[in-house]
Amino acid sequence: MKKNKIVLIVLVLVLMCGGTYVYYKHLIRPSRNIVSEEPVFKISAAKLSQEYNANSQKADSRYLNKTIEINGVVTKVTDSVMMVDESVFCLFGNKLKRDLIKNKIVLKGKCIGYDELFQEVKLDQCTIN
Amino acid sequence: MLLLMLLSGIWAGAQKIATRTGNIKFEASVATYEEITSENKSVSAVLEQSTGDFAALALIKGFRFKVALMEEHFNENYMESETYPKATFKGKLDGFDINKITTTPKNYTLKGDLTVHGKTKAISVIAKVYKSSNGLVINGNFDVKPVDFAIEVPSLVSKKIADKIKINYNFLLVK
Repeated sequence: MKKNKIVLIVLVLVLMCGGTYVYYKHLIRPSRNIVSEEPVFKISAAKLSQEYNANSQKADSRYLNKTIEINGVVTKVTDSVMMVDESVFCLFGNKLKRDLIKNKIVLKGKCIGYDELFQEVKLDQCTIN
Repeated sequence: MLLLMLLSGIWAGAQKIATRTGNIKFEASVATYEEITSENKSVSAVLEQSTGDFAALALIKGFRFKVALMEEHFNENYMESETYPKATFKGKLDGFDINKITTTPKNYTLKGDLTVHGKTKAISVIAKVYKSSNGLVINGNFDVKPVDFAIEVPSLVSKKIADKIKINYNFLLVK
């Protein structure tokens, strides 16, 4: 009788711990951290924008939501946004230094798709390598 | 001289101001349940000042949530962002006249077509428009119903997700 009770208590405790673990691990797991992800593709900004201009659906099936590394020349800097090769929009989490303009750059970010209004590819959560 | 006139003509004809970093927030929370909010800080928008024509484009993958599971459900189950990667608006600020815009917010009716999840619906909302030190601000809020855009919320979770989603937008447009 006493043994059964102990088994029951242990079982309940295990279930509670398991439940809490699943809850924290799965349900309230924080969003993706692009900084710690390895890039799936490494590509020049010019090539990326060329692929999107040619066929945005096809390019989306390849790059959308993926962490990618791009390289090119910085053509514009405003606050936390950098334009690379006048065709790829890169949003950073912090303010950028204006003296990055005209520099060659390699950066990593998450591809969020193609902006038809400006005919630009957009990346967010960018970091400079 | 002729060239100058031509050039000024071109400038007068294309008085576009724009942003690539417009902001859209939405809230779909129901009281006493878990908070559901999201923000997109990279929304594009263009205003043609001579006519009041206005267009905006938000990439769905640009909406960020605090909790990963919410972001996944939003993208995979509700917005199906692999198939419908963007939401767009194309319309007009009714009676817009750039000469009447001051630093005091003025209400305009923003009418046009809102396309979300591949479905288009005509909307008419109130937008506040005013001049700021570095450009023109257009902001406001309105409600949308997921059902209007063929977004199905399973009955199991429908209690936790509002019938009306509160959308808040803010664009600082510059030359």
